[in-house]
Amino acid sequence: MTPNRLTCEETFRRLNDYLDRALSPEEKRLVEEHLETCAGCAREFRFEMSLLDNLRAKLSRIDIPEDMLARITRRLEEARRECE
Amino acid sequence: MDGAVQVETAATYGAAASAGSGVTPDSMSFEQLLTPLLSPAFGIAMSLVGNAADAEDAVQDAALRALRGFDSFQPGTNFKAWFYKILTNCCFGRHRQEKRRPAAVDLDDVPDLYLYARTAASGLHTVSSDPAALLMEKMSLEQVRAAIDALPAEYRVVATMFFLDDLTYEEIADMLGIPVGTVRSRLHRGRRMLQKALWLIAEEAGIVQELSRGSA
Repeated sequence: MTPNRLTCEETFRRLNDYLDRALSPEEKRLVEEHLETCAGCAREFRFEMSLLDNLRAKLSRIDIPEDMLARITRRLEEARRECE
Repeated sequence: MDGAVQVETAATYGAAASAGSGVTPDSMSFEQLLTPLLSPAFGIAMSLVGNAADAEDAVQDAALRALRGFDSFQPGTNFKAWFYKILTNCCFGRHRQEKRRPAAVDLDDVPDLYLYARTAASGLHTVSSDPAALLMEKMSLEQVRAAIDALPAEYRVVATMFFLDDLTYEEIADMLGIPVGTVRSRLHRGRRMLQKALWLIAEEAGIVQELSRGSA
């Protein structure tokens, strides 16, 4: 049964699933309700969210080898011709 | 990487191909579905096989296998998950010896909030209202990649999929053929390990000391 209000410990146990957007809408609401009233937990959650956002932003730019896309496209066209 | 081209990943792929549901519209051609995935696929392959030449070969193999097997892809299901599954099989086929890169640092038993505690103890929370962003801005892409590379293989794979393409637990589980619970625990533990690896690299590079001076 889901409690009406979460303690700091209960909120923290949901941190990772919250970050991964894997909580149910009701659990998410309970976590956010706690974060609105608990500055300590809110600071920790903000830190973890910022870290993930910044990591994702940094890693979202990928150095692909020059002409890789053209080489693969060409190879796919050849494969199509071989099949015909 | 010499001769490399920096591109955005397929962050908009979900919106373009699946409207956020992971389900692929029936009307899209093979090329329309595949092309936006090639760049993030290369990033995932790099993480799995460790070098650009093998990673490109793996992506090309996967693209060819996907083309040949496209008849077996069920329209209305998730093309990205289907293609990445083929890709991971190609990568694992090339590199069965997954222990090629031993963890550079001891990452066992990293406590929760490791980086939060370290940055607080170093005074970074008094320097910025967003200490995580402050630290990450100072770290180069190469240093972040080195931290990910320091993770044991099973954690590195899951973390890479999570960071590069924001895949769900279920999608990653399906691609790797492991239970959802295993994905979840590896992802969470891997992120704690990554925090320690990032901190050690930042310390070694003098970034922590440089930022801490701002709090003195």
